[in-house]
Amino acid sequence: MQTIENNKIKERVYVEKLDNGLTIMAFPKKTKKKYIIWSTNFGSIDNKFYYNGESDVTIVPDGIAHYLEHKLFEQENGTNSLDTLTTIGVDANAFTTNDHTAYLFECTENFDEALVEFMNYVQNPYFTDENVEKERGIIEQEIMMYDDSPEWVLYMNLMKAMYKDNEINIDVAGTVETISDIDKDKLYKIYNAFYRPENMVLVVCGDFNQEEIINKLKSMVTMEGGKFSTKRVYNKEQEEIVEKYTEQSMDISMPLLMIGYKDNNFSDSKIKRELGMALLENLLFNKSSKLFENLYENGKIISEPGFDYEFSKNYAHALIQIKTNFIDDVTEEIKNYIENVKNDGISEEDFERAKRGIYGDLVKEYNEVSTIATNLVQDYFLGVEPFDCFEEFSSITKEYVENLLKEVFVENKKVVSVIKPI
Amino acid sequence: MGRTTEILKDGIKVHFIKTDVYKTDLSCVILTVPLKRETVTKNALIPFILRRGTAIFPNQYLLNKEMENMYGSEFNCGIDKMGDNLIIKFYIESINNGYVLNNENILNMNISNVLDIAFNPVLENGLFKKGYFETEKETLRKVINSKIDDKDSYAYDQCINAMYGDNGFGLYKYGYEEDLDSITLEDLTEQYNTLIQNSKIDIFISGKVNEEETKKYLLENENIKKLKPRTENYILNNQYTESKQNVENTKEIFQSMNITQGKLVIGLDVCSNDENVNMVAQVYNAILGGSANSFMFQNVREKASLAYTARSNFVKQKLNIFIRCGIQIENFEKAYELTKLQIENIKNGKITDEDIENAKTFLIASIGNIEEEQDTEVVYYIGQEISKTNITPKEYIEKIKSVSREDVINLANNININTMYFLKN
Repeated sequence: MQTIENNKIKERVYVEKLDNGLTIMAFPKKTKKKYIIWSTNFGSIDNKFYYNGESDVTIVPDGIAHYLEHKLFEQENGTNSLDTLTTIGVDANAFTTNDHTAYLFECTENFDEALVEFMNYVQNPYFTDENVEKERGIIEQEIMMYDDSPEWVLYMNLMKAMYKDNEINIDVAGTVETISDIDKDKLYKIYNAFYRPENMVLVVCGDFNQEEIINKLKSMVTMEGGKFSTKRVYNKEQEEIVEKYTEQSMDISMPLLMIGYKDNNFSDSKIKRELGMALLENLLFNKSSKLFENLYENGKIISEPGFDYEFSKNYAHALIQIKTNFIDDVTEEIKNYIENVKNDGISEEDFERAKRGIYGDLVKEYNEVSTIATNLVQDYFLGVEPFDCFEEFSSITKEYVENLLKEVFVENKKVVSVIKPI
Repeated sequence: MGRTTEILKDGIKVHFIKTDVYKTDLSCVILTVPLKRETVTKNALIPFILRRGTAIFPNQYLLNKEMENMYGSEFNCGIDKMGDNLIIKFYIESINNGYVLNNENILNMNISNVLDIAFNPVLENGLFKKGYFETEKETLRKVINSKIDDKDSYAYDQCINAMYGDNGFGLYKYGYEEDLDSITLEDLTEQYNTLIQNSKIDIFISGKVNEEETKKYLLENENIKKLKPRTENYILNNQYTESKQNVENTKEIFQSMNITQGKLVIGLDVCSNDENVNMVAQVYNAILGGSANSFMFQNVREKASLAYTARSNFVKQKLNIFIRCGIQIENFEKAYELTKLQIENIKNGKITDEDIENAKTFLIASIGNIEEEQDTEVVYYIGQEISKTNITPKEYIEKIKSVSREDVINLANNININTMYFLKN
């Protein structure tokens, strides 16, 4: 068992890699709430692979990872583990992202009882034609709910305009059409290929003794590892964007604008880059920025722009989201503003203030068991060690951030997505 | 753990929620006033103006720079409906003093800042700053118009409005566009002065806080000194004030929009003024649509595959339950009939002891979470404050435990559909 600790925030995490390849992490935290999450490094982007040494590539329908997430709760005796866990009084859930699928529950009581059900259902799939069919209508409604969400449509349109072949342009839930091809055999195949201990991480956070909880979890792991090799295939993505501009109309009150910058640098430290982006967000786009001041005073925006830096092993992009009636003006002002900051640089005072702000944000990430555990999972799949952010953060200089701005925020890697009212 | 309350002056209370669970402290000022058609728009506009700056940090850029210097403290304000009252809240979340790098007492600075935001605005000749007034009027106009953007909450608001009309709980919390133009700078400043001198004020401090020292710090604060004692003026909502009549016919409302998925909202009246009605209704709601074990989730979603979201929520202040589903538009009849069947089945006693136990377990677990989330805890206690009840989460659990199957079936026979609202294309 390896111990990783951080003195700034006075926290520790214990990590153990089992013989079968599964990684378990325990993060003790003196709260009444306990949280456990078991995740596999398999998401919506993993749609092509050579299954267990086969020579032909297997291509699975878009949305299958998410479909499997819905179906894993089914049990052979006809019960559904989500119901069973709810009956015990724990809050159980699951989610699928681009690169991972996670199963979890949180509770203040009955952890041990729920754990038995939890460890059992994740390791024992039970798919039938009937139970797979039954889910189709439910997932169709989930897809249609997102079709009516202007923010989601804005984002997906931008992904499609930014990426020609990268699987990030696939909707996590798939489409009504692609999910019509999903059957139990396909679900078993992806389960066998990707729900393997060496591909998974199990994280627990709450008031536990680390050794006791890790031993307990170990004793409940029945999956076997090794002797199985599945090689994933990803499309090679061009460096260029596909289209500069994309637009759609929806029944909304005010246009939505999203500006994205494609980031092709995959050699830099991911965590450092993410923190650098957080500093840029603070310096350039938040409420204390000149950009916000100008746009707000002129009545062109009504709230702070949203900013996000999304990244995985094979894609990265920065996104700015704004509600505005002045799409062209705002796009132009942002462009000029970024160019000005590139030329003039960032002041020492602003940089130090932004750093204090981000330091506080990092501390807040360790406030709640759910945030702690889900972040540990995400970082694990990105190859980031726990607490590395604090080390990396102190090493970030003003020059690094200025260079990051020049490198990422460039016009020929920029995509604009717009949703207009009907 | 738990809450301790001190009265600073008549109508002004401070509540301490002492806890060492979090790495953050939360300082919160809440003003409560009755929701009225003639004041709702003005009251909604006030926090928009106050967030622009204080006498100390006179614009939002300086105010936000101060927040960043306080290690990324987050300031926000917002408005909420709680029964027939409007809640105007201002809050700052900051990391605890134990994690700062230079030994600053940022909790005190944040308390002082949040009081300045609420009570010490930028004034010019005794009035709000004209520029702020003009821009924020336009901002509020856009916020009011954007209520159609989130179809789920839009459908919910429309159903409530159909039930209550343009009164109290039926009002849109951000107010009405047609009222905006006639609001003058003088009106609004006057409304603000009335608000801060007459509304019920609750200050919440949650975190690693020393009550004695903080109370002293508050009493010495200039803003608190300037506030006059007042009679708490707000509307008390409970089972005795909300007597419901059995409605003869269900109101059915259809509205069209350019959308893919239909949104079905069904508003139910809970017709009872029994002492324990809130607790029984919570159990009833958990069975009907509160959890993954509920009748709505199991029968409308899992068995009939008609919906992804199929749930209900209980509004205790108004004794209403709202069922909400996102469904395919062509499946409206099927979903509506199936939903009505769930309501009938509970009335007819088609519930098992297991259903009751599951519902209670679910509720008890949710109550257990109250003290595990800083903002949830504040919301819980302000709810208690406004309903003039003082039930700790522990007592709340005991009350839920004592609800019987008969209680639920009896109440079910006094629950009726008031309004059905369907948003389609």
